[in-house]
Amino acid sequence: MARSATSPAGGRNLLLGAWERLKSWEGLLLGVLVVIVIINSLQAPAYLSIRNQMNLLQLFIEKLIVALIMTFLIINGEIDLSVCSVMGLAACTFARLYELRVPIEAALLIGLAVGIACGLFNGFWIAYVGLPSLIVTLAGMIGYRGLAYVLLEGRSVGYYPEWLNRLGQQPFIGPFPLVVVIFFVLLVGAIIVLQYSAFGRYVYVIGNSREVARYSGVKVRRVKMALFIVSGLVSALAGLLYAARLGAVRGSTAEGFELDIITMVLMGGVSMYGGIGSLYGVLLSMLVILNIRNGMSLVNLTGHVQTGVIGVLLILSVLVPNLARNIQAILNRRRMSHLAGTLPEAQELP
Amino acid sequence: MLMNAEKPPVMHMRHISKSFGATQALDDVSLSIYPGEVHALIGENGAGKSTLIKVMTGIHQPDQGEILLDGRPIQIRNSAAAQDHGIAAIYQEPMVFPDLNVAENIFISHRDRGAIVRWGRMYEDAATILAKLDVKLDVRMPARGLTLAAQQAVEIAKAISLKVRVLVMDEPTSSLSAHEVAQLFKLISTLRNQGVAILFIGHRLEEVLEIADRVTILRDGKWISSALRSQVTTEQVIQDMVGRQIEDFFAKSQAERGDLLMSVRGLSKENVFSDINFDAYRGEVLCFAGLIGARCTDVGLALFGVEPADAGHITFAGKEVKIRSPEQALDLGIAYATEDRRQFGLAIPMSVATNITLPTLRRYLTALGLVRQGDEYAMAEEYRQRLSIRAPSVKVEVGRLSGGNQQKVMLSKWLNANPKLLILDEPTRGIDVPTKVEVHHMINALAAQGLGIILISSDLPEVLAMGDRVLVMREGRQMGLFDRKAATQEKIMTAAMGHNRPAMEAQP
Amino acid sequence: MSALRRYFRPEQVRELVLVVLIVALALFFGTQIQDYYTGRTFLRISTSIAIIATVAVGETLVVLTRNLDISVGSMVGFTAYFVGTQLMRHNDIAPLVAVLMAIGIGAAMGLLNGISVAYGKVPSILVTLGTLAIYRTILVEYSGAKTVVANLLPQWVLDLSSMNVFSIGELDFRLLVGLALAVVVLFQLILTYLPYGRHLYAIGSNPDAARVAGFLSQRIVLVAFVLCGALCGLAGFMFLARFSNITVVAAQGMEMEVLAAVVVGGVSIFGGSGTMIGALLGAAMIGLIDQSLIRWLVISEFWRRALLGLLILLAVEGDAVIINRLRSLWVRSELQMAPKQESQ
Repeated sequence: MARSATSPAGGRNLLLGAWERLKSWEGLLLGVLVVIVIINSLQAPAYLSIRNQMNLLQLFIEKLIVALIMTFLIINGEIDLSVCSVMGLAACTFARLYELRVPIEAALLIGLAVGIACGLFNGFWIAYVGLPSLIVTLAGMIGYRGLAYVLLEGRSVGYYPEWLNRLGQQPFIGPFPLVVVIFFVLLVGAIIVLQYSAFGRYVYVIGNSREVARYSGVKVRRVKMALFIVSGLVSALAGLLYAARLGAVRGSTAEGFELDIITMVLMGGVSMYGGIGSLYGVLLSMLVILNIRNGMSLVNLTGHVQTGVIGVLLILSVLVPNLARNIQAILNRRRMSHLAGTLPEAQELP
Repeated sequence: MLMNAEKPPVMHMRHISKSFGATQALDDVSLSIYPGEVHALIGENGAGKSTLIKVMTGIHQPDQGEILLDGRPIQIRNSAAAQDHGIAAIYQEPMVFPDLNVAENIFISHRDRGAIVRWGRMYEDAATILAKLDVKLDVRMPARGLTLAAQQAVEIAKAISLKVRVLVMDEPTSSLSAHEVAQLFKLISTLRNQGVAILFIGHRLEEVLEIADRVTILRDGKWISSALRSQVTTEQVIQDMVGRQIEDFFAKSQAERGDLLMSVRGLSKENVFSDINFDAYRGEVLCFAGLIGARCTDVGLALFGVEPADAGHITFAGKEVKIRSPEQALDLGIAYATEDRRQFGLAIPMSVATNITLPTLRRYLTALGLVRQGDEYAMAEEYRQRLSIRAPSVKVEVGRLSGGNQQKVMLSKWLNANPKLLILDEPTRGIDVPTKVEVHHMINALAAQGLGIILISSDLPEVLAMGDRVLVMREGRQMGLFDRKAATQEKIMTAAMGHNRPAMEAQP
Repeated sequence: MSALRRYFRPEQVRELVLVVLIVALALFFGTQIQDYYTGRTFLRISTSIAIIATVAVGETLVVLTRNLDISVGSMVGFTAYFVGTQLMRHNDIAPLVAVLMAIGIGAAMGLLNGISVAYGKVPSILVTLGTLAIYRTILVEYSGAKTVVANLLPQWVLDLSSMNVFSIGELDFRLLVGLALAVVVLFQLILTYLPYGRHLYAIGSNPDAARVAGFLSQRIVLVAFVLCGALCGLAGFMFLARFSNITVVAAQGMEMEVLAAVVVGGVSIFGGSGTMIGALLGAAMIGLIDQSLIRWLVISEFWRRALLGLLILLAVEGDAVIINRLRSLWVRSELQMAPKQESQ
């Protein structure tokens, strides 16, 4: 991209570096994906078959669904650590109601309603009282999970009607089961909203600078509240889908999923500071993680090891850009030592 | 006070020059700081005072010149080095630790108090220092509960404990009440009598002249004069501060004053501003003039709903309104272009087009809420032409543009909102002269088209050239309202400094 | 009254309230549960508190600096298992060596956390979310899914959990409890009397001012994480002594209890304030509720988790509202009493 003729001689914007990093980040992800798929294919000849890919997708489909809304939240400069607990709570609510012989449709709807309620609760403290989302959702993560345990105690509730189990497994449209169709619909919807709609634009701007958004007339609090409500709803939906697929629910359902979900988003080039990232990158990173996990299974690495590897990926996905930024800053400073870069009104120490 | 002239200067700044890109912030500035003396540094906004302080405290390195401490040249590479040399600075926002108590705040950065914290001794020593300063504070109280003035006292105590020799105070009084200012001055006197050299920067002229032993005036980055306080008069000081020609490189056309647009009576916000009264008309440029701390921006923020006022009446387009949010203000037809465009005005990593359409995104949506990017770009392109924004395309990130072009993008953003009343806060600050001229012409054109304009500015020539009427503020109070013909630099400056009683030389 | 106000800040009022609540709860449970006031119950509760309190001390160090460490459960579990395995294989390891080994391993894990946070500038929640998984994985792999079995451990390890520091009548104060109390006291002293401790508060209270004042914030935060890891190591050893049979899921979920203890105990999750005494009281409350619920047949034990969550929610959100209100009330009254200087 050509530089503006009147751009300041030394004033390189650090975030500009981030944009360029992002572009090459997605390229990097694509490269990594290709390499992993090749390696995996060498291990298992039928790797790229539709059936295999579909199985792979299904194993993690609920995490993928939640990662969609998590992307919105992190781009907005927030985070929701309680998503998996909401998944569990919604699933347990449904299971308990089912146990109590409530009609299954009602039980499902109430499960969704529980998710919305959690979202409202989170959103209230974050958007209107102004508490940091990290802390509110950390407390929620523990609290909602606790409620889930209370509902089902130590039991496992299953034996759902046939059609519910089928939802997760049988092909619905073409080779895709309903769950996967739902994911794709949500994916397309999410991309349209985040990258092409006004709401999505507001999400980005607020994440970049809450004040700039406010001064431009954007209804910041409403956007945040909406995001957390949707997060609750989507998490509940994912929880119910998971319950349907597994065929059984217990208090610990969906425990520990947040690691994969957050890693998928952060590795996709979404910055923790907000304002930067896209669903395309997250989609790529989802594929990378799925295939890495599958690759690990192919060499018989246990679930625990896989989780550990994801943990490493999480830390690296933030560490590496930080290091890159530091190196870039040092290089810039050397280049600018004569020009002393910025104009007087730019941010400086007091 | 004349006795100080015999002592050698503790610090000597010689021929200091500093530039940032194209702007020359300091141009061959020299001054001497003597121990046991309060040395006032006076100048308008942009005169170079902050830059000089930052050079003194190691935040900036001078391009040219040297700094002598006790006659020996020194390098001040960073703030820690400044502290080691005995140079400390206190700014408007005190840096205290809210959860630690007063005594601890004073001694927390000491490195030589031993391996174990002795609380009893700390409280005693803190009390001693405070007693030496004649300040009565409970040393066990957490800093969180302290008033701003008390926090400042703590910071001063901290500096004393670190054996400060040169204490720089940058606008310490802007948030203090009159009573607190008196207390602060008593503190400063005590310090002075103990041999500390104090460099005092303030904008309330009578205050500054009251406490100062020596006065140095800067203007446009250049040193103008230094003299003992006893040897200068207030008038001379004002003269030195403002004395430059009004470059008439923009001609303001005569205002065709249109209908009454907005009427403001008794607008007040507790502790910020009080009793603001004025009318704004279509086709007229009403300037709000004032120095740092005048709170003109706060009035603008209140009119735009970002920080709504507590009391008062606003009538807009004939109806009484209470403006509580920016969306509401926009709906009414009021727009506000912020003075700090990087922090509040523009989304730096986003494109020019995105920035321009942000407040008015509703207009470019399909039925489903998706953005019609084609229309968006077309509109942005129009503004690029109209305002001559120099950028390769409207898809470029706004952060890559120069200051002047960024300002034009921000203006486009608000013009696109079709406001009836446009509030511009320091629209030409930090941009190059040719662009300044363009902006002024634009403002003229807008006024001619029937927009009402409120122009907030601390740049006197700009105010005098652009304003059909000038409202002068000081410390949140309205000090004067001048017609174009009656306004002169001295009158405005005098009112801005609070030198007179409020003067009303025009109809509100 | 003013003297009272001077010494009893809102935070200290809270600690008093906690003590009252704990006593009230103990009394309440006494009426509901049979044979509650026995030496046995005291034993169970006190040893449970001991382990949580030790970890809570480490967590407090981290939280004071405005960070979080949720990998503590994995650190405790790993050290318990590792040291247990070593002791099983080499029965002749001296007790002191075993303890130091545990502490050392914990410290190493804490070091990894600390470097990533302080120097890698990765937010602590993300680092410890990752290491929570990583350390647990290492544990599972190292263990090969086997269990540390009691009867293969040297006798002194098994005896540890029944050794007393002293006894008052029926109430036995186990060595483990004494150890935990010693840790709490030691670190409270560090927080109060060592410059390092005060710097922890400063960094959490106002990180910008800390930078301007020239603090080596990175090193201070790093040490906090290392100490937290070391304390988790110690707690791991205590865990081994208490339970003897260690599986790969040892201490899983402990971070929830520890966070609850810390937050309920008045350590601000925003950093900058809190005491070890408070953390101990928080741990006491959590431990008390935990162990009592197991014995109270009216309520199923699964309410434990929900109650934990509820307590945290209450503590965090209640704090934001109540303590702030209290603080402004308290501040207002102080300002009225502050003597003014004579005016000119």
